[in-house]
Amino acid sequence: MNVDVVVAGAGTAGLVAAVRAAQGGAKVLVLAKGAGATHLSPVTLDVLGYAPERVESPLAALPGFIAEHPDHPYAKTGADAIAEAVSWFRDTLGEDYRYVGDLERNLMLPSAAGAVRPSALVPATMAGGDLHDGAPICVVGLRPMKDFHAALLADNLARQGHDARAVMLDLDVERVDVNALGIARMFDRPEARSLVAAQLAVRLKPGERVCFPAVLGLRDAMGVWRDLEHSLARPVFEVPTLPPSVPGLRVDALLVAALRRAGGRIIVGSEVVGAEPAGDGVTVRAGAAAREVVHRAEWLVLATGGFAEGAITLGSDWRARETLLDLPLAHMPEAGEPRFVPEYFDDQPMARVGVAVDSGLRPIGPDGARVHERVLVAGASIGGAVPWKEHSGEGISVTTGHHAAGRLLGAATSAKAAV
Amino acid sequence: MTTLQTEVLVVGGGATGAGIAWDAALRGYDVILVDRADLAEGTSGRFHGLLHSGGRYVVKDPVAAKECIDENVILRRVASAAIEDTGGLFVTTPDDDPAYGDDFLAGCAKAGVPVEEIDVAQALRAEPRLNPGIRRAFTVPDASIDVWQLVWALANGASARGARILPYHRAVALHRDGDAVVGADLRDERTGEEVRVEAGFTINAGGAWAHEIAEMAGIEGVSVVPGKGIMIAMNHRLVNTVVNRCTMPADGDILVPIRTVSVIGTTDIRSAHADDLPVTQEEVDQMLEDGDRLVPGLRSSRALRVWAGVRPLFDDKKGGGSTRDVSRGTALLDHRDRDGVEGFITITGGKLTTYRLMAEEAVDAMVQQLGHDRPCTTKDAPLPGSEDGAYMLAGARLRTRDSHLRTEQLICECELIERSTLEAGMRSRGSRNLDDIRRNLRLGMGPCQGGFCIYRATGILHELDRLDGAEASESLRRFLEERWKGVWPILHGDQLRQARLDDWIFQGILDVEHLPGAPA
Repeated sequence: MNVDVVVAGAGTAGLVAAVRAAQGGAKVLVLAKGAGATHLSPVTLDVLGYAPERVESPLAALPGFIAEHPDHPYAKTGADAIAEAVSWFRDTLGEDYRYVGDLERNLMLPSAAGAVRPSALVPATMAGGDLHDGAPICVVGLRPMKDFHAALLADNLARQGHDARAVMLDLDVERVDVNALGIARMFDRPEARSLVAAQLAVRLKPGERVCFPAVLGLRDAMGVWRDLEHSLARPVFEVPTLPPSVPGLRVDALLVAALRRAGGRIIVGSEVVGAEPAGDGVTVRAGAAAREVVHRAEWLVLATGGFAEGAITLGSDWRARETLLDLPLAHMPEAGEPRFVPEYFDDQPMARVGVAVDSGLRPIGPDGARVHERVLVAGASIGGAVPWKEHSGEGISVTTGHHAAGRLLGAATSAKAAV
Repeated sequence: MTTLQTEVLVVGGGATGAGIAWDAALRGYDVILVDRADLAEGTSGRFHGLLHSGGRYVVKDPVAAKECIDENVILRRVASAAIEDTGGLFVTTPDDDPAYGDDFLAGCAKAGVPVEEIDVAQALRAEPRLNPGIRRAFTVPDASIDVWQLVWALANGASARGARILPYHRAVALHRDGDAVVGADLRDERTGEEVRVEAGFTINAGGAWAHEIAEMAGIEGVSVVPGKGIMIAMNHRLVNTVVNRCTMPADGDILVPIRTVSVIGTTDIRSAHADDLPVTQEEVDQMLEDGDRLVPGLRSSRALRVWAGVRPLFDDKKGGGSTRDVSRGTALLDHRDRDGVEGFITITGGKLTTYRLMAEEAVDAMVQQLGHDRPCTTKDAPLPGSEDGAYMLAGARLRTRDSHLRTEQLICECELIERSTLEAGMRSRGSRNLDDIRRNLRLGMGPCQGGFCIYRATGILHELDRLDGAEASESLRRFLEERWKGVWPILHGDQLRQARLDDWIFQGILDVEHLPGAPA
């Protein structure tokens, strides 16, 4: 198939790149081995939460952070690109899943363990948990759900000076062990959630806001959330917990829908296995039903992820490899140097390993020279960040995905102008 | 300060100490067993899980081989619930001298280790992942043994006969009254509370730390050199039979299938201190290399965790009076004969397989010094849970799970631990430490290394009112820190991928690093 852009990987970075490229008029094909990592993500748009102290304002902290980390993906794109990408993301999801907040000030949301977790923008269904607001919180545990511990959450919040308590609800379900997805589907049914609301209403105190695990509906989360706020007559918010992530599934579905609306295509189950330069473009080989299919494209956006996604691996020979194109990696400790250190929360030498890119997100070698003219890299594949520690994961994915699409659209525009 | 009285104080809660407590309790003594940490958290909990047939020692050390096979037969009878009857194979790899097999056969015959040489083809049929280049194969009655199950059965058996079991009680001083040891001061490591024990007799079962305890009684020259051995737990049972290289004992020549994993071991490195056992990337590399000789592909298989244990290698600095037997590595020191100090003996050295014999000898020595006549009965008394003589079965949890699919929450998917089992374990242990629960139930010992179950278990511990928020958060953080010590040196391939997912869960989603600590 001939397209303008092949995106390898259907996580947040890949889908953001694909949607923006398609919106910009490019013919886009997303090829993915499987479901993207958005399914595992809390999808709070964390831009910068710790540096390493808790960040109150990402906007204020970013220039210093970028100066201190010249190899960070944010340093490649620049701070302006972050702001553009974040607005684009908010506008793209729009009212289907409204994001609240900005880069001026991090929201402080409770984690499922009761820590205070900084996020720049978050879905409206979660925003009511902002701890800048002093309203008391009633945390609701759901008996069949083992992945959310309301009493622990409330207790830890209370120890930090927040007014919080927990209640436990039984649900009208047959099984004793239901995961987040099963419960979210239950909340999609109006009669099921009004039963929950009725059961809960009598146990709430005046002025309390209500904290649920992030399971309030899969198909129409905004509708379910509004309905609960209405019937309980108070703010309701969700807290993301262990994967699978219901909010992640919502965002994934909305990004795929946006891609289709913009004319893009996605094939899940067709893993990109190789790519070679071909003229002014790139030939992409992908697996499909036990054979290989070749796609011709102007650009390949590599958004396959890092170690967590299996796109970068460390072999038993202790060599790290980007598995698709064998792109050069940055930040890999030399042989004989420690890969990790014994204290878990300390800086781990291997944490920043990822593909080396230039400011245009093109892969580069150790000498700084580009190794692939028609490949752009986005998301967790890029080295230089410790996103789970910085709380910058979604910020990096959205920014680099958006930026990569901007680069290739810009290149197309200037090529046309030249003609 | 609390004061406790007892006839026998046992210091050291490894297999030997717990075995002594059980033995002495069966002989009718009132016993207190103490350890500075959890039971079987030292050497006993840090071995490969092999119940020796003795085959390992038949050429190098026939006396040890004879002891092993005798004890193997006894433990299969009295501790069956902790034993999986895997059987064992000795195989001659292409790197080994086939002639050693003849010495091996002769040695087995002499020591009484049942052995049979089988066709290589038959061995490969039984264990298809074995190196296809093996040249000879022999079967022996090796088995695997779950040490935590064993040690807690010993402790619970003793407890049912009145013994008091005090984990996390560190002996900080031994009391002397003239020429006799008459008790100890303990410190509860969890609460800081001090406890005084007045004891008629004190047995030092401190293993690799025995010299520290002897010194508290003013006894010099008890020297124990820590011999470090590393082991790596591989995901899955790469084999279902214990596999040994048929050669003189060397590094990385035993692969033991135990519960859901298989353990490759071990090394022997003189270590400076028993509490300081760093594992290096190079040691891991060598161990994987050695394992690959037995099971090709082991090197690139998924490694879950690495740990180091210390063998207590006894080296008496004071000649005479000691009953040290060089060939067995067991040392029983009667300090009345050796040092003129009554009411105090030390037992150290040895191996897990012979813990019962060591306990018997230690208690015999005490009985003799006390002038009593109370014979040992541990050869025939089954441990709690082993009364029916049934072995542990690898698939037992799966069978239970099958019948509870709709009625029980599964908390640890890797090790099939259900909520009621976990809650019962938490209640019966009364422990506030997730690591204790891990050892008792294998919580978090599977491929995800607690990635999913540990948040759940923390919440459940908190809900059971065992912990307040501060303690729960500390326990969770400590668990992650402890776990990391055992995983960072082996991280590669899929296990690194798993570790990254766990980083996302604990640091990204739950933000455990920034949970509020206990108020200062």
